[in-house]
Amino acid sequence: MKTTVPVIIAFLAGLVMVLAFFFDPEKSFVGRLEPEVLRWVTIVGGFTLLLGVVSIIRVNYGGVHRRSSGWGYKLATVVSVFAMAIPAMLPTRMSPLFGNGPGSIYDWLFNNIDAPMMSTMFAMLAFYIASAAFRAFRARSPEATLLLVTAVLVMLWRVPMGEAMLKGIHHSLPEYINTYIMGGANLAVQRGIIIGAALGAAAMSLRIMLGIERTYMGN
Amino acid sequence: MQAWLIIAYGLLIVAGVALLVFAFRTGDRRYLYLAVLLFVVFPVVIVLKFPTEISPETQLLYDAVEKLPDSSNVLLTFDYYASTLAETEPMSRATLRHLFRKDCRVLTMTTIPLGGPSIAERVTREIAAEMGKVYGVDYVNLGYKANYVAVLKGMGSSIEAIYPTDNSGTPLAKLPMMSRIKNYADISFIIAIADNDIVSYWISIVRAQYGTPVGTGVTAVSAPQYYAYVGAGQLTGMLGGMKGAAEYEALVGHPDRATKGMTAQSLVHLFIIFSVVAGNVIFLIQKRRAGAGGQA
Repeated sequence: MKTTVPVIIAFLAGLVMVLAFFFDPEKSFVGRLEPEVLRWVTIVGGFTLLLGVVSIIRVNYGGVHRRSSGWGYKLATVVSVFAMAIPAMLPTRMSPLFGNGPGSIYDWLFNNIDAPMMSTMFAMLAFYIASAAFRAFRARSPEATLLLVTAVLVMLWRVPMGEAMLKGIHHSLPEYINTYIMGGANLAVQRGIIIGAALGAAAMSLRIMLGIERTYMGN
Repeated sequence: MQAWLIIAYGLLIVAGVALLVFAFRTGDRRYLYLAVLLFVVFPVVIVLKFPTEISPETQLLYDAVEKLPDSSNVLLTFDYYASTLAETEPMSRATLRHLFRKDCRVLTMTTIPLGGPSIAERVTREIAAEMGKVYGVDYVNLGYKANYVAVLKGMGSSIEAIYPTDNSGTPLAKLPMMSRIKNYADISFIIAIADNDIVSYWISIVRAQYGTPVGTGVTAVSAPQYYAYVGAGQLTGMLGGMKGAAEYEALVGHPDRATKGMTAQSLVHLFIIFSVVAGNVIFLIQKRRAGAGGQA
């Protein structure tokens, strides 16, 4: 029963979405069913977010309560979750500082604390890439050499100074890189990957609908 | 170019090479980090302008927007996290300026829960104020709804069914602009600015199933993936990374953050290339010495 009901729900929901593609959305029963199923999916999606919040609070609060290693960070996580969530959930009619609109506490915290922190984390990559490029990017084999030469050409092509240098060698070199490397070799390989991934996704969807793939239920 | 600028940048390059030599001699990678910091900060203080060539993908997107009839309804998405703001926000700003200049009615939304609606609000309101546009009449921010696949599919039937209210909680029925927009059939063009794979869904769900043309702006790291879609005509133009944003700013005729960032990005790219070449030269010399030592 614990696995049969979810499999039936997954099968029916998937079937409606597949069949609806072939039916008139206004005139057929299946077509009209599609927006209803999508509304349900959005509502269920909202609950999964709630589940995530409950889970992060449970895990981190447990760590703080037991004073486990790094409990200070866990406390910061719990405090941050509430500091962002509570003012955002309170109605704006109580105060313009509530809600998530412009000028709200949530908005201020996001723009002045969250966004700079996330940008800083991402910006650190530039330092690591420079270090890794110097220490590890070696032409040890013909394949690695090909990768290295291609990477250097594309990196030059993607910035104005590099583009000017390439033009100094041959005025059409940037255009050749775009046409033959990005629009040629890269495009062909990407297309293969995309088609392969799409076929894999279709096969996986079918396995879920038919109840063959049950790992999403924890089995 | 002015002589003092050449001297200043010449000194910067000498400092960068010196730091690279220190890094090699001492094995301390902090010298490399210092060099990267110098190459990022220096062009912000002492600006060196370089002309930006327009790539065909950027031109395609610009032409598609340019060909839209004035006052068309356009959907602009803010599908990116704050971590990639340096690359993606300039794209949103440049496209918004272009759309508002053409008097397009801009509908914005996001599939990113963490700050997506805040970024959309901040950027849209700033550019709208600059261009004299009014909320509810010229632009509307729908905000975020969970489960993007269902959201993208559902908006094909009814936007109001998925988003009963805008980001501030105002019912869509009360916003004059929304009386003209019910679903994708009323939208002339979609520009998805993203730092993740959501663009594939805009193509496979919206472009393929509802026929609404989609253009995109993506981070440089994910741009190669989307050449396949541009080549197949499934994407009507693409902005690749900060360079794509700078190209669009040049086309719109309003150089902004991406144009300013290009010199720093150029210098860091050149430094990384120099580091790779230097690292390989050292590797080859060491290999040759080891070989000579083995033979002896």
